[in-house]
Amino acid sequence: MTTPLLTVDNLKTQFFTEDGTVRAVDGISFDVYPGEIVGLVGESGAGKSVATSSILRLVDSPGEIVDGTITFKDKTLFGLEEGPDGEPRPSEEMLTEEEMRKQVRGREIAIIFQDPMESLNPVFTVGGQLREFIELNRDLPKEEAKQEAIDMLREVGIPDPVNRYEEYPHQFSGGMRQRVLIAMAIACRPDLIIADEPTTALDVTVEGQILELVAELQEKYDTAFIWVTHDMSVVAEICDRVNVMYLGEIIEQAHVDDLFYNTKHPYTQALLNSIPRPDETIEELDPIKGVMPEAINPPSGCRFHSRCPEAREVCQRVHPEPRDLAEGDRPHRAACVKYDVFDVGYDASPPLETEATGGFSAGLTQTGPEAETDGGDR
Amino acid sequence: MGLARYTLWRVVQAVPVLIGIITITFFLANQIPGDPVQTMLGPNPGQEQVEAIQARYGLDRPIHERYLSYLSGVAAGNLGLSIYYDRPVLEMIMLRLPVTLLLMLSAFAFAIATAIPLGIISAKRRNKPADHVSRIVSLIGVSTPSFWIGLVLIIVFAFYLGWFPARGLVLPWADPADVRGAETQFQVIRTAAHHLFLPMIALGTLQMAQITRIERSAMVDSLQGEYVKLARAYGVPESTIVRKHAFQVAQLPVITIIGLGLSTALGGAVLTETVFEIQGMGRLIITAINNQDYELIMGTTFMFGVAYVVGVIITDIAYAYIDPRVTYGDET
Repeated sequence: MTTPLLTVDNLKTQFFTEDGTVRAVDGISFDVYPGEIVGLVGESGAGKSVATSSILRLVDSPGEIVDGTITFKDKTLFGLEEGPDGEPRPSEEMLTEEEMRKQVRGREIAIIFQDPMESLNPVFTVGGQLREFIELNRDLPKEEAKQEAIDMLREVGIPDPVNRYEEYPHQFSGGMRQRVLIAMAIACRPDLIIADEPTTALDVTVEGQILELVAELQEKYDTAFIWVTHDMSVVAEICDRVNVMYLGEIIEQAHVDDLFYNTKHPYTQALLNSIPRPDETIEELDPIKGVMPEAINPPSGCRFHSRCPEAREVCQRVHPEPRDLAEGDRPHRAACVKYDVFDVGYDASPPLETEATGGFSAGLTQTGPEAETDGGDR
Repeated sequence: MGLARYTLWRVVQAVPVLIGIITITFFLANQIPGDPVQTMLGPNPGQEQVEAIQARYGLDRPIHERYLSYLSGVAAGNLGLSIYYDRPVLEMIMLRLPVTLLLMLSAFAFAIATAIPLGIISAKRRNKPADHVSRIVSLIGVSTPSFWIGLVLIIVFAFYLGWFPARGLVLPWADPADVRGAETQFQVIRTAAHHLFLPMIALGTLQMAQITRIERSAMVDSLQGEYVKLARAYGVPESTIVRKHAFQVAQLPVITIIGLGLSTALGGAVLTETVFEIQGMGRLIITAINNQDYELIMGTTFMFGVAYVVGVIITDIAYAYIDPRVTYGDET
């Protein structure tokens, strides 16, 4: 592949609340190459949405990007340098707020939000909202922008776009509104679209249609996507490469095939075990034990150790950075000390009693194999 | 249904309300203890005199007959004859109504012109000093009665500083010949504005405070809306977001409070007119009650009712105009 379109390096975004600092995004790094769909996967609260709003520098107060570099093409969206007083300050190359607004937001990087019901302004026509963004980001005069808006509505599969242009959001169904939001993103002709759980609020049949539409448009316009989701089946359907996030960190990073067929990180494995797969027959789904800890006070060592079925004593102490564990020629990074490259004495370390391996849920884990045996007898 | 038909429909709907107002005021007014004829003629009137007066004002007929004839009179635009002024009630109202309307309109213009920017600034600088100041000002404004504000304004700006006149009102369209110290129409308007200033603030402060509070909370809400986030993500300038995207959504509750404010301001106008000795509707209704002028009490009360209904209708129509989600009653 060529040079990356977007490079995120060691991005840290924190929220300064009264209860303390929430490390919502804690040093994530990933690339997006032109024309590919990159997944950003994780449970609620993993920091996916904060990561994407950080890319556009639209983190709401009291949140703040505190470290890292974000580069898009030749532009520095975020970067720090050491000031004369030794404190970090925004680097000289970093775009100003004004430049971000005029050159990047919408024009280069567009976004599709999760909730199509709330994302459109209820008091303006659908067409007017679409036209405004086109006018703004493609420097088209009003009439041309309107024509373009109607064409885009047609392209995303809205029937009778000339009349629908004049209608208000409440006259559109959820799926139709999501199509409008997709039209907005595509119409600005960006090189990168961030799709922040765009199908979560939709029912499954509509979700299928939307995914198909996106795949079609992606091919036509060759736009790169960052696809934020918690749904592994959506990842399997459309992503080229995947980043799995847990508590503000990326714990596994791989091509989608490698992620599914050669899973490295126990968390990714647990995520995969919790969804039904057409290529595997199992009797019972295996949900991940426990809930994700608060990002305000993350567990020591590996952040997943409190819920990890393979946790050992060493996991409490050692905080692993993702390392390349590739077996083929495609990079495959994961952050788990059970692999030899980490060399921290995982094998010699005694197993840890966690929610997943013992403790209160020990009974649950024991019923698993039994159920399997019963199934085999039948 | 279009906006025009919707408007018409709302007006038609108002008719039963107005009939209700007439009925209630008619029977209430006639229950006031005392006798207007006695008030007119003094303690020991002659029997013939009393009968003549009663006949003239129709007071000798039974109450249901009087009610029906009053109702048909109102329908024909005849509000009866004022006993106290000895002139048609409608004529008295037409004389006084412009004064009160002028006072109310200027009070609302003042309230809206100050409250909306204040509310927006407050919302934009949420929990910052500017917000605290505006919230304290509006809290004081909401909790201070208009007549007290009027008295304080008179004491400070009319009595001590002498900047504004303390009493009376001049209509801006009055004939220059009738206005002392004015020779041209422009001078009349200036005198009118001069007189109007203090009562306008006295009456408008409560409205201003209320509108500021609603504007602030509505803007805080809409600025946090997903559609505002979307507009930001598409590079819409912040000023456009505030002026257009967030503002228009936020105006729905503001319109409601302005519409409701019209009715409270009517009550406030009575007090303000009393404090500033303005010859408007408020003073007229007080004169009517003090003199047991049945027809005038009914007429003025009816006009207040009409004003209230009109305020509600205007609110509804403005709402339908701004919010596309409001249906005109024929959609479910």
